[in-house]
Amino acid sequence: MFNFRCVFNSASTLCRQLITPLNVNGTASQCGIRRLPQLRPLFLSAVSHQEAEASTGKDFSHLPPMPGQDSPLRWAGKKFEELPIIHIKATYNNTHIQLTDSAGQSLVRTSCGTEGFKNSKKSTPIAAQTAGISAAAKATVKGVTFVRVVVKGLGPGRLSAIKGLTMGGLQLVSITDNTPVPHNGCRPRKARRI
Amino acid sequence: MARHLRFIARTVMVQDGNVDTAYKNLNRMLTQDGIIDAVKRRRYFEKPCRERRRKNFENCRRIYHMEMARKIAFVSRTNREDPWLGC
Repeated sequence: MFNFRCVFNSASTLCRQLITPLNVNGTASQCGIRRLPQLRPLFLSAVSHQEAEASTGKDFSHLPPMPGQDSPLRWAGKKFEELPIIHIKATYNNTHIQLTDSAGQSLVRTSCGTEGFKNSKKSTPIAAQTAGISAAAKATVKGVTFVRVVVKGLGPGRLSAIKGLTMGGLQLVSITDNTPVPHNGCRPRKARRI
Repeated sequence: MARHLRFIARTVMVQDGNVDTAYKNLNRMLTQDGIIDAVKRRRYFEKPCRERRRKNFENCRRIYHMEMARKIAFVSRTNREDPWLGC
């Protein structure tokens, strides 16, 4: 997925135009990234398997609509790029949920601490679920229905926050993972000896 | 990931409100690409000595598993010519 990202980063529109024939052929085109032919078929096989199961006349692509392409998908009249975003930061001790619009202006902010949990109870999936439900309730008050989700971190509240959002009544359109993975940047803390 | 375009990589669309399947797909993609593994490993610092030993071990393990899978696939073939033909 690193090369997936760097493909789109290096020459985004160019590579997108090259990749749509790559989708069809499944062989290497003139894209300068060497590992791409090995990665794409792996994902294509997963995608085609899913689509074979779900091809009841509706072509659903697991990939999000690109900002350059004009896809006909609309949610509450909005394009994919204009949907509000929910950022979920799932640390090992807490879970924060923040709803922003597509520009980045914050609308709603909840966390396990604002729900009344303290100390070790914040690092539980149940706390994350309550935070999700309350965030969804506040969002529906502001008139938000369809939402994209961005998850950051591998904590206990990662899945249950998403569950809480759906339980609270929001409709999720896509789930992105934005967990920061450094290419050997800062040195983490020393290993615990328990 | 501030330097990258957002919502392109590591993204899964949710089909018909099926959030669990979408999350499972996302998790599968991430584990196959080794991201979950890398994040867990980077939580605490891994000394270079331990890192070298672990990489060596993973290499040996990979070779062993590939060879074993090859062997099993070879041994469990059903349509093969009769080895004792002509005896």
